Amino acid sequence: MNDQEYLCLLGPTGAGKTTALRVIAGLTAPDEGTVHFDQRDVTSVEPEHRNAVLLSQTYSLFPTMTVAENIMFGPDIRNVSDRDKEQMLVSLLDLVRLTGRAGSYPRELSGGMQQRCALVRAIATSPDVLLLDEPLRALDARLRIDLRRELKSLAKTLGLTVVHVTHDQDEALVMADRIAIIRDGRIVQVGTPSQVFNEPASPFVANFVGQSNFFTGTVVSSGPDGSEVEDDTGHRMKSRPTDVPVGEKAVLAVKVGHTRLLKLEAAKLQGRIERMLFEGRVVHVDVDVDGVGRFSAKIPASHGGRYQVGNEIGVGWNRNKAKLFPYPEGGLENELRVD
Amino acid sequence: MGSGDRLLEFISRRGFRKGWTVFNIAFFLLFIILPTVFILSYAVTDWSKIQNYVLNDPATMDLIIGAVVVSFEIAAIVTVIDFIAGLPVAWMMARKEFRGKQFLDTLIDMPLAVPTAALGFSAAIFWAATPNPPPFSLAVISSPMLLIILLHVVFSYPYMVRSLTAILGGIDETYETAGRTLGASRLTAVRTITLPLFRAGLVTGAILCFARSLSETGGTIIALATLYGRKMVEGDFQTGPTLIGLWKDASVSDPSLLPALAFVSILLIVLALVLLLVLKVVIMKVRLPLRKVWPTPEKLLSRGLFPKFKDSSAVLFLAAIVLVPSFFIFTYVFTGTPAQADWGLFIDALVTSFAVASVVTVVDLVTGIPLALYIVKNRSGRLAQLLDVLVNVPLIVPTAALGFSLGLFWSTLDSGAAVPILLIILAHIAFTYPLVVRNVVGAVEGVDPAFEETARTLGARPLQSFRRVLLPMIKGSILAGAIMAFTRSLGETGATLAVVANANTAPVYIVNLVNSQSYYLAAMACIILIIISYMFMLLLRRFTREEVV
Amino acid sequence: MPLVEMKGVSKRFGKVVASSGIDLRIEDGEYVTILGPSGCGKTTLIRMIAGILEPSEGKVLIGGRDMDGVPIEERDIGYVFQNIALFPHLNMLENVSYGPIVKDVSEEERVSVPRRYLELVNLLDRMSMFPSALSGGEQQKVALARALASGARLLLLDEPLSALDARVRMDLRYELRRITKDLGLTVLHVTHDQEEAMTVSDRIVLMRNGRIMESGSPEQMYRAPKELFTANFIGETNLLDGVVVVSGDDRTLVEVRDGSVVEAQPSGFEPGDAVVLSVRPERVHALNEGLKAVVRSMSFMGTYIRVTAEADSEDILEFDIPVPRGGDFNVGDNIHLGWSMGSALVYQRPPGGIAEAVKLE
Repeated sequence: MNDQEYLCLLGPTGAGKTTALRVIAGLTAPDEGTVHFDQRDVTSVEPEHRNAVLLSQTYSLFPTMTVAENIMFGPDIRNVSDRDKEQMLVSLLDLVRLTGRAGSYPRELSGGMQQRCALVRAIATSPDVLLLDEPLRALDARLRIDLRRELKSLAKTLGLTVVHVTHDQDEALVMADRIAIIRDGRIVQVGTPSQVFNEPASPFVANFVGQSNFFTGTVVSSGPDGSEVEDDTGHRMKSRPTDVPVGEKAVLAVKVGHTRLLKLEAAKLQGRIERMLFEGRVVHVDVDVDGVGRFSAKIPASHGGRYQVGNEIGVGWNRNKAKLFPYPEGGLENELRVD
Repeated sequence: MGSGDRLLEFISRRGFRKGWTVFNIAFFLLFIILPTVFILSYAVTDWSKIQNYVLNDPATMDLIIGAVVVSFEIAAIVTVIDFIAGLPVAWMMARKEFRGKQFLDTLIDMPLAVPTAALGFSAAIFWAATPNPPPFSLAVISSPMLLIILLHVVFSYPYMVRSLTAILGGIDETYETAGRTLGASRLTAVRTITLPLFRAGLVTGAILCFARSLSETGGTIIALATLYGRKMVEGDFQTGPTLIGLWKDASVSDPSLLPALAFVSILLIVLALVLLLVLKVVIMKVRLPLRKVWPTPEKLLSRGLFPKFKDSSAVLFLAAIVLVPSFFIFTYVFTGTPAQADWGLFIDALVTSFAVASVVTVVDLVTGIPLALYIVKNRSGRLAQLLDVLVNVPLIVPTAALGFSLGLFWSTLDSGAAVPILLIILAHIAFTYPLVVRNVVGAVEGVDPAFEETARTLGARPLQSFRRVLLPMIKGSILAGAIMAFTRSLGETGATLAVVANANTAPVYIVNLVNSQSYYLAAMACIILIIISYMFMLLLRRFTREEVV
Repeated sequence: MPLVEMKGVSKRFGKVVASSGIDLRIEDGEYVTILGPSGCGKTTLIRMIAGILEPSEGKVLIGGRDMDGVPIEERDIGYVFQNIALFPHLNMLENVSYGPIVKDVSEEERVSVPRRYLELVNLLDRMSMFPSALSGGEQQKVALARALASGARLLLLDEPLSALDARVRMDLRYELRRITKDLGLTVLHVTHDQEEAMTVSDRIVLMRNGRIMESGSPEQMYRAPKELFTANFIGETNLLDGVVVVSGDDRTLVEVRDGSVVEAQPSGFEPGDAVVLSVRPERVHALNEGLKAVVRSMSFMGTYIRVTAEADSEDILEFDIPVPRGGDFNVGDNIHLGWSMGSALVYQRPPGGIAEAVKLE
């Protein structure tokens, strides 16, 4: 990890994200391997000497202390002088708009305020690394969207190095400089949001970060400007160039957001609209393609009126948006499992 | 760096922390567990004596078997009664909101404030058909067995209700609601969903009640002495603990009673351990009839008058069987014939009792809290699990047997020089220590470890995070444990008598007064003891209320 | 006949008013979502329908029958809990069989019904497992099957997805909608997640502070919200302070804080009225002329890029651009922003300020 970087650890529940965070914080000892801060091996250093502050899912605001006492807990332990503490407190409270609430107890604060209070408590110790364990999980969906931006800009303004654990791929896309995708205790891919979204390392990543449609078949041709897969029913679909050899079983993945509805005659995949769901900025359309399966697309809400459930319609995509993977060993369904 | 910092630095070192933990575990094993079960070694070293004086002596043997059987019968009956009468009340406390709930809550705890010696006396004069029953007493019970059952129900009832309430409160009510949305009547939902989830609580409650009844000595002796109107003799109705008390007393002049004494103690300890193990397995293994449902009758019983009848009879039971006998003794203030007495002796005894209880409580706290923390923080470790089980041992061992075992252990180590007061303190530590540990373990388990972990990552040393974060959150439970230990020590008779036959503590003084039929003085002494205990109880309630959850 | 009806229902807990004056009709076969921030009283409402809570005032009717005094078990409802609440001591099949057993149905149905519903949620192969061995998503599907197997026609879902991972939640939304529509059930679904509400429901009822703010189809609520709070809560929106300068039948012209004039839908306000203009990010475009603004930040959202710009009026505006064009913009660029007249809606400026009117908690 780099200095001042915002790294998201993204993965399903039980993938080992929180364990990774605890190992960095020193709360769990690794069975094997070492942890380094600035090239210094800290594997056996006690948590209180690592200067890596953990913000837990439930915030862990000390219920017996007021907001001000909570925030000053770190400086207190470090015997910072009273005058410095006072100045620090004023500016920190101001930073997260809690100035009027210094004397309140955590239980008297709303969820969002608690989150902000826990955040400045962590910042007050000027940590080298800030470890956030699903910091937005306990909040309402709509509030979460606003706080994503707030949290990110705070981290950037203060130049913090942050490791943020989340199961929410939208959150990771919006907030992270880099995303590490974790599954079954392993890092599957590390990259910028656009790398992870556009260049997924596996069908799992393709489906986990932004949903994907999948088309399974055998590679029939492969060249520098693209490859082609054919399924049992004779449909041939194109993708970006691949290194899966011709003749091998493969799976093509294309993002739901990159899947287009086409005129019937122009499309190789033809089906019937099963369902249309209004989702605000887009309409989610499920198309049942005979013999192949369901393909989903998101069309701009303004185009929603052009289609109706039951319409015969074509499905396709720009070949550059489709990526080909070798067929996963344990089967596709198993590969795509998200919980 | 100040000296305070240096001290903090020193005790924050891993080495020191490890050493401190090892010390506390060692203390627990050497000073509490080993003396408690030391008596078992007697069976190995002095088997021949047991054979000569006990096994080959049918009269003694009959006496022992009879007393032990009676003890177990009483404990079993008491546990069942407590469960039946306590469950509806626990239910009301955990699940219902009603006017006077606070008041009922206080009432349930009241018998805990009364030292068992006082309780035994109070209940006995209320129920027993004594030679000269005091005014307003019922004076209907002439069967000693029935009297003891009634008495044991009084002091074990709060334990049952408390454990059931705690576990019920911990079971998510949505399970029951879910059952009802699926079409189950309240009773069906309770029987098929809540009760099966609730078995663990049942085990705790049952073990506590059973053990409490099995080990009770002081109150039992007093109640029987009151019933007979004289000091007990060997031919009287005996329970295991009363037999120990009796023989211990007599063994001062007749050392040949020692093997018999040891044998009763061993029998009680071993049987108690075995039986409780069996109880645990049985309750956990037996499956309640889940598949069977009787929708119509259960629906009828879920509504209308039946629930009201059940609740009111449970509360009535609490009032008539538990509370009135507990406090009947206060009538003596108005009806008794004042008698002259040497109050100086009682005050001496009271001072001794207080000194013992204070020392005991402090030792319990200092060594018990670290052990509790160790148990919670190493939950997955074998040692911690073992310690967690071992902590309960002194609770199930009858205090009289425990006292005897302890006396034997310390006198074996240092015969002759054993100071009586020290022995009493050690004995009291043994059976109060689990109360502190259990309370603290329960409280720490309820606190999310994330609090302390967060404090650590914020730069706090382990000691700092304990003192500033964890301690304020669990101080109520620590205090509750402390006061329970204190009142328990203050009221204990059996262990005291078993360890030192002529000890001078307040409950022993009361026993002697009753034995010599100085009822008025005994009543006054009881009342003073009750008032003091009750003041502690109030303190406890105030502090536990303040606890931030 | 409406399947569920609430007439003037209020609920108080001591001095706290959890819901007040609720009037609500839910038709047979309708999928209605009660949406609102934490503490708005939505769970109280659904619990009153289930009979877990009794209303302090007003009536709850199910199928035309007054539910006063009718216990939970006789209301014939299926309830799915936020914390899932599968019975931990029973396996999946026993859990799903619970309803048929306690309702004392015929031996044959007792065997066939649970299997049918486990099949419906694709978990028949897990029937002998205990809840702790299943993932959160699977558990919630079994909980749904359990509610359905009791024969309920009215399904009450209390934040059924909020305990699950974001990605699992997304898949389950579609499944929930599919299953309930296939079976023709009436559903009342409580959630704080506006995306979830839009995806699953026929109708959204938006609550705030114990009252119903507004209700309508997802499309109505998104395209033409009647309240400022709704506009901000359901989907994101840009809000600009302004004053009406021209108000006509075909459009409203609003002067924003830097003096520029922007267009909005006809509104009925008078010139000089203080208003708030709302326009969704996807409707705002960078144009050759319009509101002057500076790009402050850009964030990658997968299929599009969200640009945050600060207008000369000091208003913060967000808008979306397609990913391939991401390179056209840089942080610090001066741009012009505009939108079509029909994309912007005008609201009366709330006396307590915008922030207070759209506050989320």
